Amino acid sequence: MSTQTKTGTPNDPVDHRYTRDITVGKNGVPVAKAKTSGGGYRTYEIHQRMRPGETTAKMTPTRLISDEYLTNPYAPLEVLRENYPCYRDWIANAYWITQYNDVTSIFVDDANFETRSKAWFYGIEGFGRDLGGEIPVLTAQATRIDENASAIAERLVDEMVTAGQADLALDFAARFPMELLGCALDLPEADMPKFIEQYWHMQRGYNWEPRSEQAGKTAIEELSAYFQALVDVRRANPGDDMVSAIAELELDGGPATGADVVATLLEADHETLHGGFANMWFQLLTNPDQLQVIKDDRRFIKFAWFETLRHSTPVINAPRFARHEVERFGLMLPEGGTVNCSAAAANRDPRIYTDPDTFDVKRKDMCQREPRGMYRADGLPAGIAFGLGAPTKHPAVPEDRPRSIYAITRDVVVTASNILLDKMPNIRLQDGATPEMRSLRIGEMHTCWHLPISF
Amino acid sequence: MSSTNPNTESIARAIDPSLLAGEIAPGAQTDFPQMPVGQAVDMGHAPDGTPLLDPRIFNTMEFMRNPYPYYKIMRDHYPVFHDKLHNCYYVTRYEDITDCYFDDEGFNTIPKGSSSGVLGNTQLELSGVEHRRRRNLYGQHLVGQSLKNRVPAIERMAEDMISAWDGMSEEEGVETNGNVRRIQLGKAFANEFPIRVVCEVLGFPEEAQEDFYYWYNSMMSGLGGSATQKEGLEARQHLEDYVEGIVEERRVTPSYLYDADGKNLGKDIITKLCETKVDGDYLSTEEITSNIALVVGGGGETTRGAILNMWYLLLQHPDQFAAIVEDEEKWDLAFHETLRHSTPIGGQPRHNTFDLDLHGVHIPAGSLVNMVDFSANHDDRNFKDPETFDMFRDDLYSGKLLRSGYAKEGKCSHMAFGVGPHLCPGAWISHQEAVVGSKILLKHMKNPRIVTENMPKDIDGESLLPIGLISVRELWLEFDLS
Repeated sequence: MSTQTKTGTPNDPVDHRYTRDITVGKNGVPVAKAKTSGGGYRTYEIHQRMRPGETTAKMTPTRLISDEYLTNPYAPLEVLRENYPCYRDWIANAYWITQYNDVTSIFVDDANFETRSKAWFYGIEGFGRDLGGEIPVLTAQATRIDENASAIAERLVDEMVTAGQADLALDFAARFPMELLGCALDLPEADMPKFIEQYWHMQRGYNWEPRSEQAGKTAIEELSAYFQALVDVRRANPGDDMVSAIAELELDGGPATGADVVATLLEADHETLHGGFANMWFQLLTNPDQLQVIKDDRRFIKFAWFETLRHSTPVINAPRFARHEVERFGLMLPEGGTVNCSAAAANRDPRIYTDPDTFDVKRKDMCQREPRGMYRADGLPAGIAFGLGAPTKHPAVPEDRPRSIYAITRDVVVTASNILLDKMPNIRLQDGATPEMRSLRIGEMHTCWHLPISF
Repeated sequence: MSSTNPNTESIARAIDPSLLAGEIAPGAQTDFPQMPVGQAVDMGHAPDGTPLLDPRIFNTMEFMRNPYPYYKIMRDHYPVFHDKLHNCYYVTRYEDITDCYFDDEGFNTIPKGSSSGVLGNTQLELSGVEHRRRRNLYGQHLVGQSLKNRVPAIERMAEDMISAWDGMSEEEGVETNGNVRRIQLGKAFANEFPIRVVCEVLGFPEEAQEDFYYWYNSMMSGLGGSATQKEGLEARQHLEDYVEGIVEERRVTPSYLYDADGKNLGKDIITKLCETKVDGDYLSTEEITSNIALVVGGGGETTRGAILNMWYLLLQHPDQFAAIVEDEEKWDLAFHETLRHSTPIGGQPRHNTFDLDLHGVHIPAGSLVNMVDFSANHDDRNFKDPETFDMFRDDLYSGKLLRSGYAKEGKCSHMAFGVGPHLCPGAWISHQEAVVGSKILLKHMKNPRIVTENMPKDIDGESLLPIGLISVRELWLEFDLS
C-alpha cells in the first residue's frame, strides 16, 4: 500500500502524520482514495431507531461509575441483569453483559471477542514477551510454590501471632501472594520491599488513572533493568526458580531479557489470590455459622474458596472487544465494540444459582471445582473468576504440564487457611470492626482491604 | 496498622495512602477545583514535565465551563489522547481532524447511534457514495437558489416575532419600562426562531410550529444515554404520527411554495422528498420522517446557540459591536468568529474502520475516536491568539463556507460545521438565520446591553460566566425603544 504524507505545519513533525492510502486534494488536504469495489465502510444502517418502550430508564450510566458501584456493585448490576441484559452504556462506551449464560458465551467465543493484554492498555504492546505459558516456567513456578507455600504461610501467621493483633487483609491476604511470587522468582530478601512496591505500581498502572499509569511505566522500566541483571546472573548460574527457567528458554526471537520477565509478570497477577483470600475470610468472619462449618470439617475450606469466587469474586469485570461486527443479544455489536463482561452480576444470576446473594459453603448447585476451561464441567455452573484462566477448548492441564495455576491457587488457599485455623483456633473479627469490600477505583479489584482480627 | 514489616509497608504504600488512614478512597466523581479561565487544574506531571490528564475531568463542571486549557494540553502533549475511563480517543489538532473528516471510508459515523436511537436512521450514519446520494436528496434544498428564495420568508418571520414583543408579558420574557425594554433573548427570540424557520422551509403549516418546538426540545434532551430518553422517544413518535399524515397527503396532493408576490417557487421539500426515488423505489415515510427529525434536531440548538453566543460575545466587545452598527455587512465576520471562538457543537464522534497509528498511538479498528471541533477552533497552529474574540482576525476565512477547511490564501475556516463529506448541510441556512435575524434584531434595539445582574456569574462572583462547552442558556438584554 502506497502511503503519502502531507507536509506538516511547522510545529508538527511530519513523521507522526496520519498515513494511509491517500491522495492529496486541491487544497493540500488528503482525501481517501476512492475504491472501485468493496471498501472499508458500510452502506447500511446498524443503529435502529428505538421505540418508547425500549428505553433503559431504570439505569443511568453515571451510576456505574459512582461511589455506590465501588462499594456495592451488586445493586446496580442487578438492575442491568434483570432489565437490560445487554446494556448500552454511553459514558463508558461499552455494552454491559450481566447474565451468566451470556457472559460465559462471550468468554468461550474467542473467534468473535478479543481479549486485550495489559500491555495494550499501557500502550506498550510488543515491549516484552509473555512467557507465562512456557512449560519450564510453569514447572518452576509450581515446584517452588508447592515446596514453600506452607513455610511462607506459617511465617506470616506467626508474625501476626507475635504481634498479638492483625489486619488479616493487609498482613496476610496482600502479603501472601507477594511472598509466594518472591519465592517463585527467588528474589533476595533485601530486594523484596522495593520489588513489591514496583510490582504493585505496575499492576495498578494499566488502568485509566494517569498518575498510576505514570508510576506503572516507571516501575516497568526499573523492573526491566533489575530483571535484566538478574537474568544474566541466573543464566550463568541457574537455579530452580522462574527467572532461571526464563533465562534458559530457547526462544525464536533471541534469548529472554529482563523485559520478557516483566511482561510475563505483568500479564499474570496476584489479584485472585489476594482478593479472593481476603473476601473469603471477610465472608467467614462476618458469617460465623459458615466459619463453624469449615471449623467442623476442614474439607469445606475448598468449597468456601469456590463459593467466595462465585459470591464475592475479586475481579468483578473484564472487557472483551468484538473482532468484527456481530449480532448478539438482540443488538448489532459494532466491530471493536467493547463488551463489559460482569462476573459479579453473572455470579449472582438467579437463573443459575438458587438464592444467589447468600454465601453458602455447602451450596449444591455449583460445580465443586475450578472452571479450568469449562464453566459446567460437572453439568453444574462454576463461579466466574478471571484469575482462574480463560476457558479453552484444550484440556486445562496437558500431560506435559505441571498442575495448573488454578489448582495451585486453590491449594495454597486451603493450606494457608488450615494453618490460620491451627494457629488461631479462636479467630474472630476484632470488636467493633466494620470491614467492607470495595474497589479503590473504577475498574480495580473489589475486595476487603482491612480485616482486623482478634484471636 | 499493626505490622511493621517492610514488605507489608510496601504494599500499603502502593495502595492509596488515603486508604491507610482509614478513609474512603476517592470515588469516580472527585471534585476538581474550578480554575481561573484559561488555567488547567494541576493533575500531576510525568518525570519529563508533561502534564498528566485525569479523564474524570471530562465529567466535571470545571471542564464544562473552562474546557480550552485541557484541550490545549491534549493538542500540545497528547495529539491523540486515549481516555481509558470513557473508552475512547480524542483527536484535537485542526489538521488531524481535517484529515480524518475527509477520510469518510477510514472513519465512519456509526457511533452516532446515540442520536439515531431517537432521530431514526439518517444519512448521518452512512459513508461514501450512499451517504452522498441521500444527503443530496434534501441538502440541495438548503443551499443556493432554493435558500435565497427562502430568505424573505426568514426575514418576515423574524419581523413577526419581534413585533410580537409589544404585546408580551414578563412571563414570556419581555418587560417594558417606559423607553427601556428588557428581554431574555433566548425565550423571546432565539429558542424558537430556528425551529420556526426549519418548519417553514420544510413546508409545514404555521400552526404546527409550536408542536415542533416541543418535539424538538424533547428529542434533543432525550438522546441516548440521557435521563429523559423516554420523553425523547415519545416526542419522536408524535413527530412521526404528525409527519406521516402530511406525507401521505403530499404524496397525493403536491404542495407548492410561493414568494411574497405570489410567484410559484416550485414544490416544497416534503413534496419533493415524496417524489424522490432511491435505488429505484420511493423513500419510505419512515425515511422521510427520520430526515425531517434530523433537520429539526440539527437546526435548532445549533443556530440558537450561535445567535446567543454571538450577541453575548459582541456585547462584551463594544468596539467590535460598534463596527457592526456602522456596517451591517460585518455580521458575517461576527458569525464566523463566534463559531470559531465558541462553537455550539463540541465535535463529532467517528469509528475507525482500520487499525491506525496516529502520532505514535495505535488505535485498533472500531474504536470511538472523538474529533474535537472545539479544540480545532482554538488550535494556535492555525489561529493566532485563539482565546481572543476578534472578528477582524486575518487568519479566519469568512467568505463562502469552505468544505475543505483550508483556503488557498492560507486562511482556515472554522470547524463548527465540520469539513469534508459530512459538512453540516444546514451551514448555509444557519448562517442566513443568524445573520438575517440579527440584522433585524439590531434594527429594533437601540443601544443594547447585557443585564449583568440577571446573568450567571463566573467563580469570582462578578465577571460573566464564560461560554465554555455549552452555549449561553439565557441572555438578558436591555435596550431603548427609541
